[in-house]
Amino acid sequence: MATEPPSGDTPDTGSAFDIGIGADTGPGSRSGAVPEPSGGPHGPHGRGGQPDDLALRLCQALVCAAVDPALSSVLLFDLEPQLLDGVARLFGRLLAGARQPGAPLVVLGATSRDEDLWTRPVLRQEADGIAFRLEPGPLIQADDRTGAPPPVVLVPDLCRLSVAGMRGAVQLLGADVAVVEQAGLRHEARPRARWLAACSSADAGRISNHLLDRFAIRLPVAGLTTLDVEQLLGALPPTWLAASARAVDDTGAPPVAVADDTVVRVARLLGPDTGVRRQLALARLARALAALEGEGTARVEHCDAAARLMGLAVADTPRAPEPAAGAAAAVPPPPRLIPRPRGDTGKHGQGEQTERRRAEAGQALLETEPAEGIGSAPGGTPTALTTPYPEDSAGVLRDFAPLRSPWQRTAGTDTRRGVVIGSRRARDLNDLAYVRTVREAALHQRVRRAEHFTVSAADLHCHVRAGAPERMLVLVLDHTCRGDWDWQDVLAPYLQWAYTVRAAVHVVEIGGAEAADELRAESFALRSVRDPRLLAALYRPLGRASPLAHGIEQAARALRRAFRQHGSGLAEAWLVVVTDGRGNIPLRASHTGRLSGPVGAEGVEDALRAAADIRAMDRTRLRVVVVDAGREPYGSLPFTLADTLGGIVIDGQGGRGPDADGRGNAGEW
Amino acid sequence: MSRTTGAIRILPYSRVVGQNDLKLALELNYVAPRIGGVLMAGARGTAKSTIVRAFALMVHAELPVTLPINATDDRVVGGWELEALMRGEARPQPGLLEEAAGKGLLYIDEVNLLDDHLVNVILDVVSTGVLSVQREGLADAKHVSFGLVGTMNPEEGWLRPQLLDRFGLMVAAQQQDTETRHRTIKTVLAFEEEYQKEESPWLQEAEQDNTATRDLLESARSRVATMKVPDEMVQLCAQVAQRVEAVGQRGEIVATLAARALAALEGADTVEPGHLLRVLPMAFRHRRPETAHGGTFDWTTDDEARVRDLFETG
Repeated sequence: MATEPPSGDTPDTGSAFDIGIGADTGPGSRSGAVPEPSGGPHGPHGRGGQPDDLALRLCQALVCAAVDPALSSVLLFDLEPQLLDGVARLFGRLLAGARQPGAPLVVLGATSRDEDLWTRPVLRQEADGIAFRLEPGPLIQADDRTGAPPPVVLVPDLCRLSVAGMRGAVQLLGADVAVVEQAGLRHEARPRARWLAACSSADAGRISNHLLDRFAIRLPVAGLTTLDVEQLLGALPPTWLAASARAVDDTGAPPVAVADDTVVRVARLLGPDTGVRRQLALARLARALAALEGEGTARVEHCDAAARLMGLAVADTPRAPEPAAGAAAAVPPPPRLIPRPRGDTGKHGQGEQTERRRAEAGQALLETEPAEGIGSAPGGTPTALTTPYPEDSAGVLRDFAPLRSPWQRTAGTDTRRGVVIGSRRARDLNDLAYVRTVREAALHQRVRRAEHFTVSAADLHCHVRAGAPERMLVLVLDHTCRGDWDWQDVLAPYLQWAYTVRAAVHVVEIGGAEAADELRAESFALRSVRDPRLLAALYRPLGRASPLAHGIEQAARALRRAFRQHGSGLAEAWLVVVTDGRGNIPLRASHTGRLSGPVGAEGVEDALRAAADIRAMDRTRLRVVVVDAGREPYGSLPFTLADTLGGIVIDGQGGRGPDADGRGNAGEW
Repeated sequence: MSRTTGAIRILPYSRVVGQNDLKLALELNYVAPRIGGVLMAGARGTAKSTIVRAFALMVHAELPVTLPINATDDRVVGGWELEALMRGEARPQPGLLEEAAGKGLLYIDEVNLLDDHLVNVILDVVSTGVLSVQREGLADAKHVSFGLVGTMNPEEGWLRPQLLDRFGLMVAAQQQDTETRHRTIKTVLAFEEEYQKEESPWLQEAEQDNTATRDLLESARSRVATMKVPDEMVQLCAQVAQRVEAVGQRGEIVATLAARALAALEGADTVEPGHLLRVLPMAFRHRRPETAHGGTFDWTTDDEARVRDLFETG
């Protein structure tokens, strides 16, 4: 690997880490990135105790992330949770040149707050009081410490990461410079931390593309069942270890040029619709592999190896030269580990040229065989999605503005959230206001006559934070059902409740004549019912189209964010839907902005499907009301919608809210 | 704190491929600071932040004063130096807004992710021109003035109309064609390779090109104040504002300033309709009613059609 191979020869070090430059990717051949596959009933360690392909590719990816700071973030899809610790330790050891202990580990999760990420107070009890110091926090602690291994920032579940954590990731991942201005701390440096995140491919659609796009290396690892850190480190060529250890002093790999046709190849492998960041990431990965090989130029073969490393199909690799002597004999591997390009007939290229065609980004590298049942129970191995970009084909509803700080905060006694509006004397060590504390201590230094600056318990102050709404009213207003009817009477109790409890309001409008796109619902969030936009929304002229399904979907999105997202939560929410149930715009038309062909009942069915999503949230503190506009011939539709939502129906033309006739739960007024 | 680049590597401004509108907006704002800043909106990975930082390095030889999305109030409006307090010294620490006033520009990356209370603080200061600090034992008020430069990805939400209007110009990052994208990738990779070399003619040449651009900008900046804007240009601007139903009057003022800056940049003797036509989308796209309420910010052929006859020469 470290020695320069003669031109045109496949380098061969006899290592499991041969990256397969020039290797034929056809079935039956041995791609360098795919050494002796094991699989089968013997687990991941096959013949000769070699780690399996997935473990090797994962290890290679981590080495590349260590070698090139531009590849500093790795996102693993469908990693078994019990392997997370091992992968993090492996990454940490690589960053420290395999030395013990490895690089420091920083774990981010659903409860991570800005105050925990960017600054770190150091309080120490001393004889004459409390010694106090404010240091850069875990995400930036190593930025100014060249010579120390950069930390591994571990995100066990990217989908559950707090808003503060996600915003931190957006600021740091792949950034040329990180700027932090927190509580008296000023920091401006190139980020050194390496990020390692895990995520279920099924959840990828829920995460902001803005965030996902910043992860340079993506790797689907479904099927990886064990990981032996020591074995992988032992199998690593010494030159690779040395290269990854350069992360300690940020020297990086020697300069490597990227050939023009390599860049063309990158674009071709990823397809025309991919973003620049993905193209750059693949090109940099190719460059890193070339550097690890000791090459001065990253060629097309390196690009193909990089693509295979991430799980992308490489369907038209030029035929490889004959394997060098010493290369492993082509032992036919089990079918499930055979790279099988699309269009491959299964007849392996014994000297025959594979057909040239462009691979699609996201095309599965490995064909998944049908699951085999174990014993008498159904199931077996689930079909794994093997694409590094699962979000491209995700069908789930993406959260609304997931990187914005939520207005709603955790209900109950947790006062450590919300905007700081002042400070007060502290009763514990939570949420300390450091400047205020030190300023208080400064007043008493002369009196205390201590040798050092000291802080006493009486000096400690904590933040006072603004109260945030813990209740929410979601209004879905279908303008097409209003006509000459004034719905303010029936809505008044809900608006009064929202005003009384200072609830936040989310308005979803359907079928207004002034809508920017009549095929789509429009929604906006308000701090309270006093916002003049609410009154305007109640009296829009009615239009023709009723994208009810899209409106219900938007309401679901708002509720999911409010209830579930990243540690924020509501104590109570009301969903009030005013409609006749007639949805004449299918969800597909709302999403694409194009209406084609007859609609039939598709719009109503889509609305019921979206409503089922809201009911599936199974929130005991969510109350749902459908206000029936009483329009013929749609009489039963509001009831069907209410049943699906798990709510009650109020007669809009004659009713005056939930307490008008005793039907339903009147809630707390 | 001195803003040295240290290990921070930013692609030289002269080597940024494409995104000519983004570059032009920044250059116009530099030539005529009264324009009041630039908002750059565009999809992820379109070099928005790189362009802003590269531009600041080129013209100021330092990174811009940057307001991160999670900044605390004390760092935004000012507070006390903690380290000094620990030593028993009461030393005020100027905030980012005051520092930006000294440099003339405040950069907000991911501006649409900025917390509401910070948006309120900035709106207060920008609209009144006064930074008033009444907190933690500090009581001070200063006159401050600076231009805002913001970058945002509209996928992550929109901006409040009040803040949107505070950006003099708004530009949309373009999706690149295949050839431009190829050059972009090649350039970025070449920069990373060259940066590791002891001697790099590539980087030296880029710096020379930067110097030439900076000289051009300085020359335009020194001339712009003396350039007259003909009355008919001002009238034309007002007509355009009426046609596109611009909200408020800031649009035509900014358009006039930007047209004059463009004329200065191009070495023209006077402002002509062509200059105005070029800057119209930048000045008005975020001041149309639909954009102000979260609609599209694209300047479409329909928008062009609404004003085309005003610029057709008889």
